[in-house]
Amino acid sequence: MGALSVSEFVDLMVGGLAIGCVYSLIALGFAMIMRATNIIHFAQGEVMMLGCMCGLTSVWLLPVLPLLLVVAVGMASSGIIALAMELAVYRTLRRRRVPIMNLITATVGMSILCINAARIIWGSEPLRFPELFATTAYEFGGVRISPQLFWIMVMGVAIMGALQLFLKHTRTGLAMQAVAQDPEAAQLMGANLTRMMAYTFAISGMMAGAAGIMLGSMFFAFFEMGFITGLKGFVAATLGGLGSITGAMLGGILFGLIETFSAVFLSSAYKDGIGMILLIAILLVFPSGLVGLWQKRR
Amino acid sequence: MNTSAHDDAWLLEARSVTRRFGGLLAVDAVDLAVRRGSVHGLIGPNGAGKTTLLNLVAGVHRVSSGVLRFGARDITQHSSARRARAGIRRTFQNLKLFGEMTALENVAIGLHAQMRAGFFDAVLATPRHRREERSIEDRSMTVLHFVGLAGVAHVRSGALAYGHRRLLEIARAMVARPTLLLLDEPAAGLNVTEAAHVSELIARIRDAGTTVILVEHHMDVVMRVSDEITVLNYGRRLAHGTPAQIQEDPGVIEAYLGRSGENEGAQA
Amino acid sequence: MTASFDPTAPRRGAVHRVTLLVVAALIVLPWVEADKFALHILSLIAIASIAAMGLQVLLGYSGQLSIGQAAFYGIGAYTSALLTAKLGVPFPLALIGAGVAAAIASLLMVPITRLTGAYLAVATLGFSIIVYLFIQNEEWLTGGSYGFIGIPRAELFGYVLRDPMLSYYLNVGVAAIVYFTFARIEGSRFGRAINAIRQDADAARASGVRVTLLKSECFVIAAFVAGLAGSLYAHEVRYLAPNDFTFWKSIEILIMAVIGGVGSLAGAILGAAVVVGLPEYLRAIGDYRMLVFGAILIATMLFGEGGLAALCATLVRRVGEVSRRLALKLPPRNETAP
Repeated sequence: MGALSVSEFVDLMVGGLAIGCVYSLIALGFAMIMRATNIIHFAQGEVMMLGCMCGLTSVWLLPVLPLLLVVAVGMASSGIIALAMELAVYRTLRRRRVPIMNLITATVGMSILCINAARIIWGSEPLRFPELFATTAYEFGGVRISPQLFWIMVMGVAIMGALQLFLKHTRTGLAMQAVAQDPEAAQLMGANLTRMMAYTFAISGMMAGAAGIMLGSMFFAFFEMGFITGLKGFVAATLGGLGSITGAMLGGILFGLIETFSAVFLSSAYKDGIGMILLIAILLVFPSGLVGLWQKRR
Repeated sequence: MNTSAHDDAWLLEARSVTRRFGGLLAVDAVDLAVRRGSVHGLIGPNGAGKTTLLNLVAGVHRVSSGVLRFGARDITQHSSARRARAGIRRTFQNLKLFGEMTALENVAIGLHAQMRAGFFDAVLATPRHRREERSIEDRSMTVLHFVGLAGVAHVRSGALAYGHRRLLEIARAMVARPTLLLLDEPAAGLNVTEAAHVSELIARIRDAGTTVILVEHHMDVVMRVSDEITVLNYGRRLAHGTPAQIQEDPGVIEAYLGRSGENEGAQA
Repeated sequence: MTASFDPTAPRRGAVHRVTLLVVAALIVLPWVEADKFALHILSLIAIASIAAMGLQVLLGYSGQLSIGQAAFYGIGAYTSALLTAKLGVPFPLALIGAGVAAAIASLLMVPITRLTGAYLAVATLGFSIIVYLFIQNEEWLTGGSYGFIGIPRAELFGYVLRDPMLSYYLNVGVAAIVYFTFARIEGSRFGRAINAIRQDADAARASGVRVTLLKSECFVIAAFVAGLAGSLYAHEVRYLAPNDFTFWKSIEILIMAVIGGVGSLAGAILGAAVVVGLPEYLRAIGDYRMLVFGAILIATMLFGEGGLAALCATLVRRVGEVSRRLALKLPPRNETAP
């Protein structure tokens, strides 16, 4: 198996970071929703998939659409879809104070609904994205990087950075954080819980939509893409420490790197299995994830 | 291990027990000695650490430092289920009944650890299963009579009146004849009559041979039924003695009784 | 769940009468309706209901959401296929062997039972994905994507069950045994304990209940019957492919248990009848099958607490009331006190 050459290493590194950004964006959604509602949103992967499909459809309709607009369309559609899920179903269930198992089952149902709706609308064949990026490789100091992966990383970091700014420096963002930490106190301070919940779903949906476009352009779009990638996004969120936004970001990058590098050394047939084993190991051994470990050190 | 007559008198001992939650020191080097066959009251202002201390004795939280002894045994590292099986039972401040089950079934859970019939016994309706079911039914009904709930034995516990639910919590904890019973605010939210009934029930529990640690805010309940009282404030032990001594203790009066005397009016 | 020590014997009697009626109907059915295809569908319903009843013990009784039951179903199916086709083991032993294999595999899940809620669900999902990958990749054992062909029919006492009517009796028979076995859990120490765990695990622990141990027992039980179901399935359709044991199969089993009514064994059977039987009789929905079921799942969470079982129970009660009143010539309901 031997050592990797520099260019091979760089390829893996870039690939791992790029897919890591995708996982981070999905993981962020899980973390935000977990913080706000205490449930795992099983349909988060499908929100990503639908954002991807909508973005692809927009390119079919308007082939001249530039990359950034495609991403914007993807983000907007998945944001709206996630919001619709919250308004139509989840809010009612929470108001009724149903047992949490029912809420989780409802998200499972939502996931099934979305996957099959997508299959009916867009068919079951994988769909290729048109070229959204330049094709000639960029060169940085003798190292060649694919523009697609490069821009995906840049966009990913930019979006996550924008989110952090939003959460820490805007009134709405701070209100969302307050509500997640202590709903009652936040309410007493004037925060509107229902609106904050809506924002949470909308924003986490937008994150997922961006991830969907990135993932779709890296590989292809198809109706079941949200399932396994959503699950991996969840693994990433758990790795970082469920409920922690920073943790989700770190967890995504880390998981992307772990998966990419270990696929080289392990049978690629079991590549998906790596994530599953990692997930179970994390849940059993350090459920509070990286962030939890960091906090315990103090 | 000392087994002198002096040590035998103490059923539960907490020595310099401490519990931290992150940066918060909820219980700070508290000593507690509960005499066998007594009712030991645990009082203090809100946030004093009473429920935390009770949770430490019950095993819900591990101590950050210190030692817990139950009889001759060091139980500091034992899990709560293990302590429950060893004879320490508890009620919860926020009532944790099994809402979908009847009163009788709730009490029956209290006897779970004393019985052995499992999945196969149930499926095959073995003699052990039938014998234990009869025994569970008898003993559970007896305890329901003891607390005064025999009439609602087959009512879903979620449908019971609040006062009855508090009594049911106690019944469930009592059915296995625990050596030590931990009561966490058993009179919370009860009116004067109901609270008096609870006081009298606790006295009968003690007379039946169970040692009791009682966390309570109703001063009349605590003062009437406790043999000894420990007062906590800010996680530390402030005072310790008989009800009469506690009521005279200036430190306690200042920290706690004085304030509650203003708010609730002297009830004792 | 009916209450333990329940003095309301009359209601129990009514349930018993209905059950006996249903059993009698099932026994007589093949003589009335001998269509081979219909009997085959009924067999598949019976097989599915076994897996669904197992999940009911996990979800409805002990409150553990498992979306990985397909793993045990698959382990049971392939184990039974291997034992009979490759090792010539007689069917009854292979059936039990399938259950045992699945049960042993579930022991790997024991550490997971410490988890609760969605974490547990995701862990079961992860586990079932690993099992699926194994089934798909280890071609030498399972045939992988090429499938496992040549599975012999079930046989009892050396007599091969060629006639669909006979395999109907086998599958319905096993389902009935599973049903009556699980029905005995209610009103027992074990049943009360796992119900208590579902409602409040901490309170159960404080009463001395060994929570993790009992939760694990439920997993083993559910896995065992899922394994039985897998074996019966293998010998009914006589061809296995990894696609039959994906996440979607786990979801189907979940749907059966939920739309039937969480906590109801009869509901699991009704749910199986709907999920397996309905698409056969409503060809039109074909492609839309899972879409419809997803919607029904959400709708059940929003509106119907007790699922199909509660609906049926209400129906039966109403019919019983009306007929009683007619028989006694009583005035209509709204003129008398309830």
